[in-house]
Amino acid sequence: MLDYLARRILMMIPTLIAISVITFIIIQLPPGDYLSTMIAEMESQGEAVDPAKIEALRAHYGLDQPMWIQYLQWVTGLLQGDFGYSFEYQLPVSDVVGDRVLLTIVLNFATILFIYLVSFPIGIYSATHQYSVGDYGLTFIGFLGLATPNFLLALILLYFANVWFGTSIGGLMDPSYIDEPWSLAKILSVLEHLWVPVVVIGTAGTAAMIRRLRANLLDELQKQYVVTARAKGLPPFRALMKYPLRMAMNPFISDIGNMLPQVVSGSAVVSMVLSLPTTGPMLIGALQSQDMYLAGSFLMFLALLTVVGMLVSDLALAWLDPRIRLGGGTDR
Amino acid sequence: MRVGLMRVGLMKVGVLKVGVLKMAAGLLVLLLAPAGPASAQAEPPLLADRVAAGELPAMADRLPVDPMIVDLKGQGRALGEYGGTLNMVMGRAKDARQMVVYGYARLVGYDPETMELRPDIARDVIVEDNRSFTFVLREDHRWSDGTPFTAEDFRYFWEDVANNPEISPTGPPIELLVNGEPPLVEILSPNRVRYSWSQPNPDFLPQLAGARPLYLYRPSHHLKRFHAAYADPDRLEKAVEEAQARSWAALHNREDNLYKFDNPDLPTLQPWIVRTAPPATRYTFERNPYYHRIDGRGRQLPYIDAVVFQIASSGLIPAKTGAGEVDLQARYLSFDDYTFLRQGEGRGDYETYLWRTAKGSHLALFPNLNIADAEWREVMRDVRFRRALSLAINRHELNQVIYFGLAVPGNNTILPASPLYKPEYRETWAAYDPARANALLDEMGLTGRDDRGVRLLPDGRPMEIIVETAGESTEETDLLELIHDTWMEVGIKLYTRPSERTVFRNRIFAGQTQMAISFGLENGIPSNESSPSEFAPTAQTQYMWPRWGQYYQTKGQAGAAPDMPEAARLLVMYDDWRRATTASERRAIWERMLEIWTDQVFSIGLVAGVLQPVVVSLNLHNVPVQAIYNWEPGAHFGMHRPDTFFFGAERPRTPDSVLTAAARARQ
Repeated sequence: MLDYLARRILMMIPTLIAISVITFIIIQLPPGDYLSTMIAEMESQGEAVDPAKIEALRAHYGLDQPMWIQYLQWVTGLLQGDFGYSFEYQLPVSDVVGDRVLLTIVLNFATILFIYLVSFPIGIYSATHQYSVGDYGLTFIGFLGLATPNFLLALILLYFANVWFGTSIGGLMDPSYIDEPWSLAKILSVLEHLWVPVVVIGTAGTAAMIRRLRANLLDELQKQYVVTARAKGLPPFRALMKYPLRMAMNPFISDIGNMLPQVVSGSAVVSMVLSLPTTGPMLIGALQSQDMYLAGSFLMFLALLTVVGMLVSDLALAWLDPRIRLGGGTDR
Repeated sequence: MRVGLMRVGLMKVGVLKVGVLKMAAGLLVLLLAPAGPASAQAEPPLLADRVAAGELPAMADRLPVDPMIVDLKGQGRALGEYGGTLNMVMGRAKDARQMVVYGYARLVGYDPETMELRPDIARDVIVEDNRSFTFVLREDHRWSDGTPFTAEDFRYFWEDVANNPEISPTGPPIELLVNGEPPLVEILSPNRVRYSWSQPNPDFLPQLAGARPLYLYRPSHHLKRFHAAYADPDRLEKAVEEAQARSWAALHNREDNLYKFDNPDLPTLQPWIVRTAPPATRYTFERNPYYHRIDGRGRQLPYIDAVVFQIASSGLIPAKTGAGEVDLQARYLSFDDYTFLRQGEGRGDYETYLWRTAKGSHLALFPNLNIADAEWREVMRDVRFRRALSLAINRHELNQVIYFGLAVPGNNTILPASPLYKPEYRETWAAYDPARANALLDEMGLTGRDDRGVRLLPDGRPMEIIVETAGESTEETDLLELIHDTWMEVGIKLYTRPSERTVFRNRIFAGQTQMAISFGLENGIPSNESSPSEFAPTAQTQYMWPRWGQYYQTKGQAGAAPDMPEAARLLVMYDDWRRATTASERRAIWERMLEIWTDQVFSIGLVAGVLQPVVVSLNLHNVPVQAIYNWEPGAHFGMHRPDTFFFGAERPRTPDSVLTAAARARQ
């Protein structure tokens, strides 16, 4: 086991190096750089820009050097814990991202909780009452949630939250609480605003989760040990909870790997629409303006989380399911 | 002071008419100054505690000896009360700079009534022949931190910033050079500075009054701490290291952002001081205790204590505005939002004004005369082709379908509000006449057609024009959809290609784009004193001739010299205009340029005068119901002086007929 762990951790190093190279190349792929974006923007506002000055700025930011030198500078910085410098904000990247991470984690954690709370009972019900009216009805609603564009739902909910409850539009708290120290009223204001994005981001995830749970559970319910358990007179609820549900949980565990980065960056589009003070809109903005160190460091951080998440979920699966631990999962 | 007022009479050009008002203002202050109790009453309540605690001098001591007195009564505005917070929403953290635009404290600024320049921060500007400009500063005028604002701040900018090879590796700002010649900068006394050139520089004052102004001064006492020539080397080195800057010059540049307004430590002359350092989602601006303008009763402007910018995604801003979350908003609102905003008036206590915009054309088509494809270049440069394209656009239809008939159809040229306006500038080649367009194209010999009815180029390729857009709004694609149908009638097929703005521009610059759709002329209301640079190939961003513009901008190092006689003539005339010394000469040059411009159809205008919704809280007073909303000249709200807006009792709603007068005036 220890050997397995060590190998997995060592494997992460080349993976991360590969990711860093690819990230950097992709960020640089679009024509132009941060300065050309900046000029375009200024000129679209009717502001004149002196070409000679731009060249000087380019040298100042080190954008005139070959790409591999820029890459090496960035990577060596990363290794020393220096995430680089954001052109757009004129601040070190860590200062820019800092405050937003907390709210992002709150939002995405609430969303995951919402997904679990809704999809577990529905998934179990659908599997145990397969092809019943309830199964069809809930499945239909689930698909509706999956099919409705997130941003549209977000705008509709936002409008009604404002008209019915007087909630201020967009953001995660009433504007008057921004920059205020945390207080009970501020937390309540956050809760008041939180439900819209949670429901919006949650609906799509819920539908997928219900389908997966239902399918897995159906597989298990038809297995002989379930039949035997029932035949021996085990109460139906216990016969469901004790074994088949536990087996059907595997996909949830393997999801952890995807979930960790999602907790930090997920739901970017909805966050854009709802104007949430989370990291998603910041990442999109950085990519749009080619603020390369901000975008690059961000993506690297997400990659690191994904790789770590995968490791954690593999370890958890091995711990949870003896078949994986012992036989390498050949019987699945 | 007397000398300054007397010298006004010497001005050859009527740019700055200081006049009787100014003289009266000076006398008034002299009378008011000894009357202590009166000025004590006028202390803004927000600052009263600090004054009482001795942290801040009393108002009379904070103001310049000769503050600028704003005659609100004379402008038909009300005298206001202190206090309140003005809420606005902006799309990006960078928009903090809009507060410099709206604040509009400039050395000289536009008067919205006459569109003439008046002294503002400067007490006086003495112009001789457009070659020499002497700025007279207000006595005892102070930066927002209480340090005197003097000629030293001008000297510091010129000697230690503009001409310091490390801070400005490319030398002084290009705006200060006349044909490459730098100005002669003389510090005449602690409150007198002179800029002079051997040739006229008529652009100089308009640039100082710009929305993004040319700054001739810096808060030297603050910036010297970051300047190698003044600061203690050890401490400077430490500061550079702490800020992770590449050099002291980089740190200096980072501190020195009078326009970006992102440094709460940097003293300013604007009516409100930024109090929030980025990154943030809410920016607060607080009144500047040392601001130089007062009202007729001796109250110091601005009336409003604080301004708050909330940052939200730009798509949500109309919704937030409609929900009544703002007190004043125009940025990020467009005419499409008007009906929604009117509907929301019941829920939020606001009303929606319609201001006129002053672009030559809201959007215009730019045939690329520098296109790389030789065959197309030949066609594009044929004036008959450009005229035909213009004639084949049904502007009335565009106006009715997309702008509810409220815009003004016509060429991309000056608007009726300009003193230079003649109806033919707007109407020539702009009527919908497909038969004439067809005849022009036939005359060019483009008679071959394929089975779709699309005309063929001489080399046999079909005449398919790809019009590129910056892809930011559907408005452009909607317009092109309609133009597609009428162009098809004359045998030209139009395709739309949206792309990202940077890509869009680079393709045009490289000559890969056949035609672009973008904003029309920035200044649609020029007078003969306004620079006609937009009408001549002087900038790379003029999408019909990017290479010629680049040639001019880089003084021939890149791009190509204009090789179309008409464009070359426009450029010569532009240079003539700059050298012209009399108003009548300038006017004559303007007229000749406009004639060529109209005749040649270098860009194809669509509609102009699209209305800008301006949402104003019912508690906010002094915002004009009808006004011009323009970036340059005008600085959006800036020219209308938000420092005179104030919060008071709820106003009765303006009758509909007044609100929509601007819209109906054009029917």
